Amino acid sequence: MKKLFLALMMAAGVAQAEDVLHIYNWNNYLAPETVKRFEASCKCRVVQDYYGAMEEMLAKLSAGAKGYDIAVPTGFAIPPLMKQNLLQGLDLAKVPNVKNINPAFMNSKFDPGNKYSLPYSFTTTLLGYNQNKLKELGINPDSWSLIFDPVILAKIKGKVTVLDDSREVFAAALMYNGYSANSVNPDELKKAQETIIKAKPYWAAFNGQSYIKELTVGNIWVAHGYSSDMFQAVADAKAAKRPFVVNYGLQKEGNTMSVDSMVVLKNAPRPDLAYKFMNFIAEGKNAADLTNLIGVGNPNLAAVPFVKADIKSIPSVFPDAQAMKKLQQLNALEGKQLRELNKLWTKVKTSK
Amino acid sequence: MAKNKSLGRWLISGPPLLYLLIFFAIPTLIMAFAAFRFPGDYGGLLPFIDINPESGKNELLIHAGNWQEFLTFENFSRFFEDTIYVELFIKSFWYAGITTLVCLCMSYPLAWLIARSPKKYRDLLILLVILPFWSNFLIRVYAWMIILGPQGYFAMTINQGLALVGIAPIQLMYSHFAVIVVLVYVHLPFMVLPLYANLEKHDVALLDAAQDLGASGWRRFWKITWPLSLPGVWAGSALVFIPALGMFAVPDLLGGTDGMMIGNLIKQQFLDSRDWPFGSVLSIMLTLAVLMMAGLGMMIGRGRQRNAL
Repeated sequence: MKKLFLALMMAAGVAQAEDVLHIYNWNNYLAPETVKRFEASCKCRVVQDYYGAMEEMLAKLSAGAKGYDIAVPTGFAIPPLMKQNLLQGLDLAKVPNVKNINPAFMNSKFDPGNKYSLPYSFTTTLLGYNQNKLKELGINPDSWSLIFDPVILAKIKGKVTVLDDSREVFAAALMYNGYSANSVNPDELKKAQETIIKAKPYWAAFNGQSYIKELTVGNIWVAHGYSSDMFQAVADAKAAKRPFVVNYGLQKEGNTMSVDSMVVLKNAPRPDLAYKFMNFIAEGKNAADLTNLIGVGNPNLAAVPFVKADIKSIPSVFPDAQAMKKLQQLNALEGKQLRELNKLWTKVKTSK
Repeated sequence: MAKNKSLGRWLISGPPLLYLLIFFAIPTLIMAFAAFRFPGDYGGLLPFIDINPESGKNELLIHAGNWQEFLTFENFSRFFEDTIYVELFIKSFWYAGITTLVCLCMSYPLAWLIARSPKKYRDLLILLVILPFWSNFLIRVYAWMIILGPQGYFAMTINQGLALVGIAPIQLMYSHFAVIVVLVYVHLPFMVLPLYANLEKHDVALLDAAQDLGASGWRRFWKITWPLSLPGVWAGSALVFIPALGMFAVPDLLGGTDGMMIGNLIKQQFLDSRDWPFGSVLSIMLTLAVLMMAGLGMMIGRGRQRNAL
């Protein structure tokens, strides 16, 4: 009996002695070699849990999920987390490598002064396309007219997918009409809705899940999606030795940009490890891993020398100052605005 | 002794009853109540207790006088404000109805065949029917996406065949056709199993007797087998129709730009719009519509029975 008790105590002791950092992250959003190096340097273990959509993460954390130290929300999800008192104030003195972060990404409208969040990586929302087909048809992919102008769409009917995301599709239609991607003006939204309804009959589907595959197989010629997914599609098409090239680029009317940031949760079991991790990631070499792996934009200036040259030259991954000006982050919408937008969206979805 | 018996009965039936009460009846009531509330800013419902902006303290914000601030019929009136919701309901019922009908037409002969095959093969055949369940639902749907995709051999063969007759190629993927094909595929076993369970119990002597009395094969089926199998038909239809009605993954993945079903709209309310009350209204309406259909079916069934007597 005594022995058993002792064994139990020891087991409990071991469990306690093991240092574990829990990260709640997007799927495939941390390079395995980065994890290995961090585990070696902190003598701890990293456990990740994944989400596939921001709303999923918000819903889970709002419902009181516990046990996570770090989460990686997109900009517009930070204010809801802050207002629900789910985040810990950051002490940036504990993250000396913060000096590496590009000032353009600090002090964002979602978290002025970076009291709660530290930029991690970013993607742009743009158009990916089958380069051979578009060349054949003489269509220029540098404008949103590619997915909104019925004259152009008539040539690629049934070969276009757009994201199944009310915010992103409306943002694109707003920019196409010359408005801000963040407009909540009812007239401008109405105009954008008309644009979408007119273009919809030419689209094959709303697709946010399998457009990488559809592009690389050649089923779809134009897809509205995220730069990191398009990076994947280009690589997959190349690896499969397809007789065509997949490519992607920004639109001249402007694009949306999603900046994901690291936050420490209020009820984090190990804030000490969370700080260690943030400082580790903010180191240039470690930050570069993710860009090299999945082709995401990097807000870390010290990472640039470690990024592969062929990725560095992609304008939508490393936009220059000129392109940067045309990138907009989507605002956090209030409940009422969100519901209004979704009424318009339902109308779009059910229109014939 | 009698007391003991009823105690035992309660002990056995108690846990499942309690389970249903806690995880079905109570949530349904909460949903019915939520349909009359206002949505919270970050999902959920507008709370009854919140920080009072004046005093800065947590306070119960509801008083007898201001119930209008907490309860509303707005969510219900929104449902009828625009015809799109009712139209979406009709469309979803149409999809689910066709799925059920096709499943029935395909499953009946199959179930009959299995029920009439030698006893030693029956278990194996039933096992084959449920074999697809061994792989994940989403994987099976993705497999269909490959089959139906324009670069898949299935679609290519069909289109080449059409080209021979001079018809323009058709798109199989992202269409109503794709959604219904996969809905049928996914739900087929749910129709086969209850039909088989029913058909297996039929007494073959009845058919022999009918044959001896000179009834044709067709007549024997409609006068004996079909009426006897009706409980299986109803059970199978309910098992196919109701899940097909609420399906959202299949139209999401295979439907075109107008492939949306009622399940997608409900999911959209709870996740994207963070509008739980309207999502609750849609769910309640769906439940009511299904109950009404079931009631109608029962009434027709009863009327038939009376006529038969």
